[in-house]
Parts: sequence; C-alpha cells; structure tokens
Amino acid sequence: MEHIRNFSIIAHIDHGKSTLADRIIQECGSVSEREMTTQMMDTMDIEQERGITIKAQSVRLDYVKDGKHYVLNLIDTPGHVDFSYEVSKSLASSDGALLIVDAAQGVEAQTIANVYLALDNDLELLPVINKIDLPAAEPERVAEEIESTIGIDATDALMVSAKSGMGIRELLDAIVDRIPPPSGHPDATTKAIIYDSWFDPYLGALALVRVFDGAIRKGQQVMLMSNKEQHQVLDLMYPHPLKRQKTPAIKSGEIGIVVLGLKEVSVVNVGDTITDAKNPATESVGEYEPAKPFVFAGIYPIDTDRFEELRDALDKLKLNDSSLSYEPETSVALGFGFRVGFLGMLHMEVIKERLEREFNLDLIATAPSVVYHVYLNDGSMVEVQNPSQLPDGTKIDRIEEPYVRATVITPTEYLGNIMNLLVSKRGIQEKMDYMNEERVLLEYALPMNEIVVDFYDTLKSISKGYASFDYEPTRFREGDLVKLDLKIAGDVVDALSVIVPRTSSLSRGRALVKNMKEIVPRQLFEVAIQASLGNKVIARETVKSMGKNVTAKCYGGDITRKRKLLEKQKAGKKRMKSIGKVQLPQEAFMSVLKMD
Amino acid sequence: MLLYLHIPFCDSKCHYCSFNSYVEKFHLKEHYMQSVHQQLLKDLERFHVTHGAIESLFIGGGTPSTVPPKLYEPFFKTLRPYLSTTAECTAEANPNSATSSWLAGMQQLGINRVSFGVQSFNNAKLKRLGRSHSRDDAIRAVTNAAALGIAHISLDLIYATAFDTPSLLQADLKQTFALPIDHVSAYALSIEAGTVFANRPEVAKEHLTQTRQLFSAIEQHGFKQYEISNFGISPSQHNLSYWRHLPYLGIGAGAVGCVNNIRYYPHRNIEAYIQSPCFNTRETLHDSEIKSERIFLGLRSIVGVSRHLLGAAEFQRAQLLVDAKKLTFHDNVFYNTDYLLSDEIALFIED
Repeated sequence: MEHIRNFSIIAHIDHGKSTLADRIIQECGSVSEREMTTQMMDTMDIEQERGITIKAQSVRLDYVKDGKHYVLNLIDTPGHVDFSYEVSKSLASSDGALLIVDAAQGVEAQTIANVYLALDNDLELLPVINKIDLPAAEPERVAEEIESTIGIDATDALMVSAKSGMGIRELLDAIVDRIPPPSGHPDATTKAIIYDSWFDPYLGALALVRVFDGAIRKGQQVMLMSNKEQHQVLDLMYPHPLKRQKTPAIKSGEIGIVVLGLKEVSVVNVGDTITDAKNPATESVGEYEPAKPFVFAGIYPIDTDRFEELRDALDKLKLNDSSLSYEPETSVALGFGFRVGFLGMLHMEVIKERLEREFNLDLIATAPSVVYHVYLNDGSMVEVQNPSQLPDGTKIDRIEEPYVRATVITPTEYLGNIMNLLVSKRGIQEKMDYMNEERVLLEYALPMNEIVVDFYDTLKSISKGYASFDYEPTRFREGDLVKLDLKIAGDVVDALSVIVPRTSSLSRGRALVKNMKEIVPRQLFEVAIQASLGNKVIARETVKSMGKNVTAKCYGGDITRKRKLLEKQKAGKKRMKSIGKVQLPQEAFMSVLKMD
Repeated sequence: MLLYLHIPFCDSKCHYCSFNSYVEKFHLKEHYMQSVHQQLLKDLERFHVTHGAIESLFIGGGTPSTVPPKLYEPFFKTLRPYLSTTAECTAEANPNSATSSWLAGMQQLGINRVSFGVQSFNNAKLKRLGRSHSRDDAIRAVTNAAALGIAHISLDLIYATAFDTPSLLQADLKQTFALPIDHVSAYALSIEAGTVFANRPEVAKEHLTQTRQLFSAIEQHGFKQYEISNFGISPSQHNLSYWRHLPYLGIGAGAVGCVNNIRYYPHRNIEAYIQSPCFNTRETLHDSEIKSERIFLGLRSIVGVSRHLLGAAEFQRAQLLVDAKKLTFHDNVFYNTDYLLSDEIALFIED
C-alpha cells in the first residue's frame, strides 16, 4: 500500500484540468503518442464539444521514482456544480488532491467550493499553478491569493504548463512525496465505496470503486449496504481510458472496476458501499444519499405520437445515469410527456441535447422549476415540482422555497453591478471579503428559483465574463409566492405557468407578455397574450395577424419550386407546437423566465 | 390539355427578370424555331394527343415578339389540327417589338389574345425597372392590337416597388383602363436570384394597404380578381388550367411540361436544346405532392379546394378557417377570401 497514491484533480472550469490529466497519463507512458487524442478523459461527444467533464473517469498509472515502482490512481472529478455529490464521492475515494489554479485567472468560485469539499474529506491539497507560460501569468500573485482566500500554504506550489508539459515530472514526484499512501486494513472484511457507475453495452452496469478495507475478489458474493442486495463479482479490472487490465482482486487502497453483470445502472449507485455478503462490514464508507434532483422541467415530444419513443429514450439514458428521474405527466397544451428531475441546469441541457441528438427527437422543454414545499391550511405539505399544479391560493397556508449559498468572485470594478443583480434576485448578503485590492468574494443566500434560468449568463455578461459563480443548496425558507399564468388566445397554457414572488408579479407579467410577443410569429389570426394572477389579467399584448404570405407568380414552370418552398416552410412549422389554432415555437416554453 | 411555348430571346434584360432568356443569341433564332417544331412533333406523338384536344396555347418568354411570324409558321402548321376550335391562343409581346405587322402576322397564324409587358406607364419607373420601352410605345402597341381586332388584350403591371407612390399607381391604372383591354396581370415585384435587383433588394417595397387599394381599384372596372395577380372581364383559360392542375405540354428551352403526373424539363441552355430538343429530365409527382399542389394552387385562385382532397383533420382545420371568415365553403369546395394569405392558409390546412 505504501506504493499507491490516490489523488483527484480539482479546478475551476477552463483552468486546464483535462489537459493536465492528459499530460500526466502521457508522462507515465501509459498511452503512446499515437494513441493520444486530446482530452483523453472526456469521452462523451458533448463533453468534448463543450470542454467540460460530466462523468468522472479514472486511470491507473505506473510511475518510477528513485528506482521504486509506484501505482498512481488518478481519480478525475466532474467539473460542474450540478454534479457536486459525485465530486464529493470521488474526493472521498482519494487521499490527496491537486488544486489547479490558472496562473492568469487566479482563484475562482468553483475552486473554493471544491476546496471546501476536499477539506471536508481531510485530503492533502497540492496547489498547482497552471498555464505559467501564458503572457498574462502572475504565479506569485496567484500563490498569494491561494494563501489568503483558501488558507493553505502555497510556498511549495507547483508551477506547470499542462499544455507544453513544463513541470509535469516535478508534479509527479511531488504526488509521490507529498500525498499520503492510502490507509486501510487489508485483513478486515471487504469495504469499498462506489464513486462512479455507468452502463457498458457488453458488460452491463459497472461500478468504479475505491477499496478501503479487505479486498474484492473475482467470484466473491458481495452486498450493497444501501439495500442489502447481493450480487456475485463476475470480473474485476483496473481502469484505463484505452486498455483496461483484468485483475483477480482489487485490494485495500486500490481503485478498480467491478463487473456484477447487472442490466441497469440504477442498482449500483454512487456513494453506496460494497461489502462481503457473508461477513458484512458494520459501517458504510460515509453516508449514502441517493442523488437528489434540484430542478424539474416538463419534457414533451413536439409530435405527440412520439411519447413512447421518448419513454424508451429516457429509459436508455437512465441505464447510464442513475441521477435521472422522471414520471409521466400530461399537459393540456403539450399532451403527454414527462416531468424530469435534474441535478442542475447543465444536467438538464445535456439530457435534452442527448435525447434530441442520440434519439433524434424534437422536444419541448418547459421552463425549469425548483421544488416548492406548499403547506396547506389543513396542516399537510405537498411538494410542487410543476407550477401549474400549485393548489388554489385559498387552500395555501404558506409556501417555502429552496435556497442556495451562492459564491461569487469578481474583480472589484463589477462589484456594484453584481450586488444589484443579487439584490434583484432576492439575495441576502452573508459575506463580503476582499481577496486583495482587485478581487472580492461574495456569499449570498439566494432563492434557487432565481438562478435556474439566465442567472449565470447575466452574471457573465455584466462582468464581461470575469465573475465566477458556484452554489450549493442550503435550506427552505418561506416566500410570498404566487402563480403567474399565461393565456394565449384566451386559454391558459399550463406549460407556461410560473411561480414568482408576489412583489414582482406585475413586472414579471408585463415582461413575460412582451417577451412572448417577440417570440410568437404572426399567424392567420390576431393572437392575444395575457398574463394573469388567478382570473385577474395583469398584462396584455397582441400579436397582429399576418398580412401576406404568397408569391406573385405561379404558372406551369413554377409549381415544383413553389411546392418545395412550402415544404420547407412546413418543416419549420412542424417544429412548432399547435395550441388550439395558434402555433408556438419551442423557445416560447423556455423563455418564460428569460426577461431581464 | 394546354401548350406552353417558350421563346428565350430578348432585346434587353429587365432588372427583375429571372426567366430563361438571351440578348446575344439572335443568330440562333431560325435553328431554335426548327427545334421547337421538332419537339412539338415528338410530344404530340409520345402523349398521343388527339385532334382538337389542345384548349389553349401560350407563347411566353423571353420576348415572343422578337421572332418574326414567318418563323412560327411551321410550328402552327403542325399544331393547327390539334387546337380546339375555341382554343385561347396567347402570345406575350413587348411594346417596342410588337409592331403592327408582327401583330397582324401572329393574328393570321391564329393568335387571338396578346399579353403586353407594359409594367407601368411612368417613364421614370420603366427606366428604373430596366425596361426599354416608353409609355407611348405601350399605348401605341395596345391600340394597334385593338385596331387589328385582336379579341383579347391583357397587360402586365408591376407594383410594390420602392418607386411607387399612390398617385403613380393611380395614374397607371387610369391609363390602363383608358385602353381597350379585357385583362390585367398585376405582379408585386419580387427579388429573384441572378437578377440585377438581387443586389438591391430594397427596391421591392410593399405597403399592404396600397396593395389592397390597387386590387379593389382594378375590380371596380369589372375586372374580377381570379388569382392573386390576375384580373379580367373573363379569366385567361390558360392560367386557370394551371391552377386546376390540368396537363400541359412544355416546349422550348427552359419550358416545363406536366403530363400524366410526370413533370418534364427540356434543356434550359439554348445550344443544348437546339442540339437535342427532345431530351428532357423528369420528375414523377407522388399523390401527396399532387395533393399539396392542388391545395396551394386552389387557394391562390378562384379554383378553390375540394373537400374530397382533404383528410379529416385537414377538413376540420379548413372549417376553422371558415368560422374565422378566411375561407368560404359551398358545393363542397373551400374558397379563399384573401389571396394575400394563400400560402399561409395552405400551410395551416395541410397535415
């Protein structure tokens, strides 16, 4: 065990985590030059396109220092707040972490959030200042920032350029020297944590585990501690992005892939503990909580006949993503669809995109909603995930909504704008620290509802991209909230209802109808767009009827061309949703909250 | 059955025109007219056209009046027995090349309807459209045709241009109806790729109120609007037949024909056409395409859309439009009440 090092990499987006991982893999000679594709660790199309890591990947590497052989287990972590639960389990499986900070950007909000998680897990943190070859690099200033804001010693911070490979050898040596070897009892009964799981079309559900005590052996009967289910270990492998290596056992201190031959990934959940079935451990590794969705949205096929296809597609995605939850729901406006729970906004976008791209579905997603705790006059509480289901106002005693602790780091010049934004989003300041003369760290309690749409984009635009943001859910607080309905051509479109603070309902209603007017194209009929609270209309706009859609000439030689033109226009309309005699484009359903 | 003959020669190219025409190929006229004769013979044969079956002939262009009547003679000689006794035989003509003798020669061959490309009676507007004739040329040409006793005279007008003013359009209409005509085609200027105006899209400018005023002013003279761009004391049978989706022969370079639900396209290039006038590429129309065509053609004209053409959901949507007064419905046919919305209504109704 003293020759094993288990470490994670934590960083803010774009600070170079994936590039550094690639370089480490290459330096250990584990992947030849020829096999090296950039961003080895990001395997999904969407990950590579967006330059983000969604699923954690791991790799077991061999490294020689001073004539001794070491096993370095690189445990990659998802790079987005939506997946912080998975991040925390990856960190729990590590004994140390590289804290990557961009030499030009400095410490960012996500860096801080991740550091808190690492410190919670008692990890040895190795500060690594990356991109030191950039012209704008200020490694000394960044080192100071790490010391002042994070409170860890950065005098021995490693200076690297993942892009050029500068400092990578020194970094690997430091991993060996400074990260402690794993601890654990090789002779005790099996105890391992699942820190990632996914579905492999050939092998079924796979669990990526870190073994703490004992070992997992091929053929062993194991048990999952969350539900006491027993399974046999069919195979074991060490992880590698290209060539997994089979092994008869994964021993104390090691990481590895466990093949249980299961058809669904939902049985091997991140955070669960694997133990021996005959001689189970008494305590699990840390506390297991099933992944909990924070954001809900309705997802509907534009073509109502494709509901079953949507169900199949969701079922297939669920095989690979146990955090995805969904239930059928019906909307008067949109027909049959699903209310889908997501870990956060990115998760929602990724799922919608995968459904459309991999399953070729045209979908409408309604505006995302958080979960409200609605206390009724009779003392009971209902959880409302869909604004149109909010009970009648006369029955409601009070509504509580979820809050987050938002961390924002910004250059001081944008501080005024950002504080205005946070106040307009009903934020309550909890902390304001000057990190140095140029940058400020803010912590606010914010209703989660205020950040589910547009907040991040607005923050980025008012700070010219310089402010960074992260959040973690905290608790529920009472809010004076009302349901704002939207009527199109006289009928309430249930999929467009939103829950808003009473005090801003009038301005939201006005903004909503105005925004909707821009989105709804002119049609054969005049279309009234109204916002209402209950039966009371508080704002109205009208989309005038169309004046003309015809071409001047259509004789014998023009008919085919004309038909093809109309077919094209028709294909465009097919992507719209007919509600009564009005056709609404897809953006209409998402745009409900975008109105600043 | 109808017959369309395309004459791809012009004295000059108008700024808005994307039709197949050449200004520098006059030396090919004789060859070309021999080739169209050849194609005519071939098409009559391959479609088993019977005597008297052709209800209308339309000679369009290009500019048919750039070709002297003598060169049309063999074509007419062959065609004559196939024309019905009541056939409408139209030739398009340009006010400067349609001389009295050309008109007389064509009348002798059997032309009983002439459609003049007048566009406007305002010399400044004509110039900006790239037309080579003047107001006086147009008046003279129409008067000459009437003097010869040509039964039906139509003229084309262009509106919805940036050069229009209400008084200009009024003056154009006043002059139009002072002439002995029985038909007007009024086209909103549209910008086509490959034309001079393609780089100046701002010259197309429509005010819908003005358009509606124009329509009703024309109708006040007893010229009923029977399609979005066509008005007449009596409609052109040739035009109406296209919108009824009747079969048509297409003869000449860049002409299009459609028989037995196969649309065929002879060579567009004049040299290629002269070399092999009977060659064509074909497009087979599927039932759904024919249905779609019948719907949008019926909606842009008095032809209307028969309910039997529509599926249940389509019929329901059409009825919704009757309730909203966008359509009327009698004798099992839906009729459009506002041709300006024809395409939108077609999109609304069709599955």
